[in-house]
Amino acid sequence: MDSRDSLSSDAVRDASSLSDDAAVLSVTSTLAKTALSYFQSGKFEECIDVLIQLDQMKHNDPKVLHNMAIAEYFKDGCSNSEKLVEVLKRVKKQSEQLSSAAKDQVEAANPGTNVSVSKDHFDRTVTTLNIAVTWFHLYHYSKSFSILEPLFQNIQRLDETIALQICFLLLDISLACRDAVNFLAVFDYMDKAFGVGFGSHEENGSTMQLSSNQVSRTSSLLSSSVASDTLRSDLTAAESSLCEETLDYENVLAEIEAEKRMKLVGHIPANNLLKTLSERSFSTADLKLELQLYKVRFLLLTRNLKLAKREVKHAMNIAQKRDSSMALLLKSQLEYAHGNHPKAMKLLLVSGIHKEAGTSGIFNNNLGCIFYQLGCYQASSVLFLKALRSCSSLRNGKPAKTFSLSQNKSMLITYNCGLLYLASGKPLLAAQCFQKASHVFRRQPLIWLRLAECCMMALQKGLLEGGNSSLDRSEIRVHVIGKGNRRQLMIEENGYVELAGSNQLSKLSLPLARVCLSNGIYLLNESLSNDSKSDLGSILSVGMNETKEGSSSDHEEGNTNTDSKEAKGGMSQEIIQNSLSAFEDIRNREKQLMRQALFANMAYVELELANPIKALSAATSLLQLADCSKIYVFLGHIYAAEALCLLNRPIEAGAHLSAYLLGQDDFKLPYAQEDFDQWWKHTSSDCEETLDPSTGNTRDSVFLKPEEARGALFADLAALLATQGHHDQAKSLITHALTLLPNNVQATVTAVYIDLMLGRSQDALARLKQCTHVSFVPGRLEVRAS
Amino acid sequence: MNRSTMMIMRIEESAIVLSLLKSDLRPMEDVLSEFDSKFESARYLSVCNSLSMMLQDQQMFKNTERLIAFGIIYQCYSSQKPSFNPFLSEMISAACNEQLEKSERAFLLHLLQWNSYNNVKEILKLSAVDYIRSFDPSTHDFPELGELQREYGDKADPGPSSHIFADYSLKKLLHDPDVPRGCDPNSPEFDVQAGVNPRIGSGDRDEALSGFLGNLTMGGLGPRWIRPCPPRYPVHQSELLWIDPDNKHELVWDDKMCADTSSGATVRDLLVKGLKVTLSPTEQEDIITELANDPKLVFHCGITPRKLPQLVEHNPQIAVEILTKLNNSTEINDYYEALGNMDMSLHSMEVVNRLTTAVELPKDFIRMYITNCISSCENAKQQDKYMQNRLVRLVCVFLQSLIRNKIINVKDLFIEVQAFCIEFSRVREAAGLFRLLKQLDE
Repeated sequence: MDSRDSLSSDAVRDASSLSDDAAVLSVTSTLAKTALSYFQSGKFEECIDVLIQLDQMKHNDPKVLHNMAIAEYFKDGCSNSEKLVEVLKRVKKQSEQLSSAAKDQVEAANPGTNVSVSKDHFDRTVTTLNIAVTWFHLYHYSKSFSILEPLFQNIQRLDETIALQICFLLLDISLACRDAVNFLAVFDYMDKAFGVGFGSHEENGSTMQLSSNQVSRTSSLLSSSVASDTLRSDLTAAESSLCEETLDYENVLAEIEAEKRMKLVGHIPANNLLKTLSERSFSTADLKLELQLYKVRFLLLTRNLKLAKREVKHAMNIAQKRDSSMALLLKSQLEYAHGNHPKAMKLLLVSGIHKEAGTSGIFNNNLGCIFYQLGCYQASSVLFLKALRSCSSLRNGKPAKTFSLSQNKSMLITYNCGLLYLASGKPLLAAQCFQKASHVFRRQPLIWLRLAECCMMALQKGLLEGGNSSLDRSEIRVHVIGKGNRRQLMIEENGYVELAGSNQLSKLSLPLARVCLSNGIYLLNESLSNDSKSDLGSILSVGMNETKEGSSSDHEEGNTNTDSKEAKGGMSQEIIQNSLSAFEDIRNREKQLMRQALFANMAYVELELANPIKALSAATSLLQLADCSKIYVFLGHIYAAEALCLLNRPIEAGAHLSAYLLGQDDFKLPYAQEDFDQWWKHTSSDCEETLDPSTGNTRDSVFLKPEEARGALFADLAALLATQGHHDQAKSLITHALTLLPNNVQATVTAVYIDLMLGRSQDALARLKQCTHVSFVPGRLEVRAS
Repeated sequence: MNRSTMMIMRIEESAIVLSLLKSDLRPMEDVLSEFDSKFESARYLSVCNSLSMMLQDQQMFKNTERLIAFGIIYQCYSSQKPSFNPFLSEMISAACNEQLEKSERAFLLHLLQWNSYNNVKEILKLSAVDYIRSFDPSTHDFPELGELQREYGDKADPGPSSHIFADYSLKKLLHDPDVPRGCDPNSPEFDVQAGVNPRIGSGDRDEALSGFLGNLTMGGLGPRWIRPCPPRYPVHQSELLWIDPDNKHELVWDDKMCADTSSGATVRDLLVKGLKVTLSPTEQEDIITELANDPKLVFHCGITPRKLPQLVEHNPQIAVEILTKLNNSTEINDYYEALGNMDMSLHSMEVVNRLTTAVELPKDFIRMYITNCISSCENAKQQDKYMQNRLVRLVCVFLQSLIRNKIINVKDLFIEVQAFCIEFSRVREAAGLFRLLKQLDE
């Protein structure tokens, strides 16, 4: 009797509490919907007010705090991303603490039961994703990746929408870091997970679409054969006009637009490019297109241009009845990578992105890249500046309530400007651009090499503060002082350059070049050690590949159309591995060449700074590199020999020069012109197809010709022998050097020195008169002025 | 190689210095005071460099001018000890140079404050002319070069350019080849006389000195090393940054804020119950419906590999549903391992049999499961005969079903299954399985 009464009262109490909970739940649910509505309307103030009410009802609820942080960020106009990251991290930590506390409670209630509170674990996913998104927009790709990777490991548990966002973000991070292995891991998962939805009917539909496209292509070929002559002549005219420095970019744009207007059948909308992932409703076909576009990007990243060409056609087919702007852009990029610049330019225009305010900056930047490769630096400069203005106006004019948190592209364009200014011989402007862009590229060795090159170019141009301290003196001045019986000649080697605006110039210096090169060498070594770290990614990739192999074999058993599927462009395992290994070879070769450049530049800078010990160390490191190019071997020997002379070790210096000695008094060519051409092409071009010479990379780097390098060896050995007192032998060598380098100032000074040491003042004076870099300055004028 | 920066005296500076050098009748301290007032310390090094280089040539300056030049070099660094003067080595060399006048050498020793030469203040009150006139060489001792070098040795830096090329430097001054050899440039015969028309070949000494002061630079003429500048690293196409309008990655609103979690909770509660008892058909239907509505719920329903055996024993149908939905997850292998390690039972066989038609089970798992079944039959021998026969019959039916549905390739397990059939040939189902094997073998 007592037992029955107790159960009855408990039941009544439970019913009562359930009713109360239901009431509270309905109120908070309504408020949550209201907050979401305000958020989506861009009314962040009202949204925050509602969230504050929710926080009072559910104090310290991590989800409420999270959404409040998001709303605050948008209300402030997306201005303080670092603060947002801090707040989100705090919310995440709080959520973890609540999760462990709840877990403890459950374990206390059920001793011995290992309960995992997976619901709370799921709750942190959105916060974690937002942290990764914010880091991505701040260009902290490695941080963003490390945060996303645990989510990716358990991605099957997540909502499909969130899973898609995570995967797309990981793909873009991998592309930005040029990490092909991680890209492949994510892409394989997406292809398997979201490709499952493709039914056989969809496949048949795709086949039919492909067939109809072939028919349309045939008719297109017929029409193009009729107009082939006109098209060819147009292309010829375009090519010739493109190479003119006085090219009027606007006129060309207008002409191409007119041509396009006649040919374009329908308007291609570009608005879809600016839609956010969450705003898009991903149909099966849309997702397929996105994956196809990412596949093309992967192949462009690994420079598998042949396969990329096939895949971009496939993307065009998929995109035929919807937005094809992105596919056209990728096709344009493909032609650009091929070196087919006129076609790339046309495709850029056809894509239509130059008409939208949001993408005109991208258009101008990419067009500027094309003009740069064509050697039209002035046009390229105009385009890059227009692109920067587009990005600036886009950022300033954007209303704060817009949901768009776009990544600022101006840093990328600024980097391109730096390259352009360096190629145009403007080291100060180039350095400013590189220093700005270093916020994004600070972990890439190449940008530090570029900054050092700016310093050295400024040195050669006499733009460094403190006057021209370089030994690469441009001329000799002979001052005629006194007259009559007191007349004497004073030889002066320095070309004094009067400085203007030294405040601005003080930023560039040789010590700065040294710091930049040290950074580059350190980062390059770090990236080599990080290559072992990417084995973790390889492990992930191997795991995914195993799963993929299983899936593939099952598919083969169930489907007899394997060959046709391959023909449609599915990436087989072998092709993927070939792309990866080829890309790895390319990256390794690039690192090797960059290492050579860094060490050579470091040795040069240390010699300029009168640090022979460090210069010798850098030159020795350069000579010890495996497969070092002949040009850098030559530089290594020259720099090492000079450093050893400065360290009073002439015998060792002579040994370095003797590497090129033939007999007693002759030198072989340290490198041939073919070596230089091969080095240039080897460094700058890895296309599978042969580049068209007329559209190849413009060679804008000046270096000694092979005969001039041989002359330098003669002159340097003569200088070495002269310091050891072997003046007769030195004279013979310096005569050889002046035959090869008639107007070289250093060789002339050495020859004058040797003549004077041999007591031949007349010969020395005659030699000074022959050199075109020597000028005789009367002293009377100065005295009169005084 | 020349580490010093450009140091040239300006034209107006050289004029001032020249006039000071010629002030041989004024007290030297007055001359030096005027120098201090007209030159700031930043220009000291430049002036002293020019003077030091001109002092190398004994014929360049007159005796009085040499004294004043050395006085200027002393004055610029008089706030420190003489041993810290950057031109100490030049002063020491001159003080010990026997080719120089003794009066000049003594003057230098006073500037250096060597031994008993400590009267520099008194001497500077004299003019250069008076000093030379009143100098008595018989009252002075002159040290050897080695002695001075030993005393100032640690501080007598030979100069900023102390490398192999500096040792072989020459003066930058060349004699005019038109001037005959052996001609005495200081002969008054060739100087310009005031009021007289200048002769051919005459020169103005002051003009020449001013030119020298204004043009001399530090360092000598030496052999030069050609140092090529490295070529600029070529720009690869991929270095120029081609920009794609990538997908916009936006911050995500957490729409599960204050969401109703009752449905998930209901399923979790039912599953907790299902670990202990058989659920009613209605309850099973509810679970299956909720799992179908929310594809992700299976990941959060609370079932783990460790709990799976309990669920299989009490609610095999629910277990099949959950395993089917987990089949593509990364954790499915853990669930299969737990399933394979279960004690053989009717329910576990039922679950495996249903899974073979619902999803693609791993081949290794099936092979392992069959091996375990056969081992269980053999191990049950010592226990209940009836139970053993029942297990054998179940295994035979199970294997026949797998073979007929082509779930397994019997050739992989032929010997093992055949041995199993022979061992239990007394059971009718085993004999049937044996005949099926024979039929397939032909």
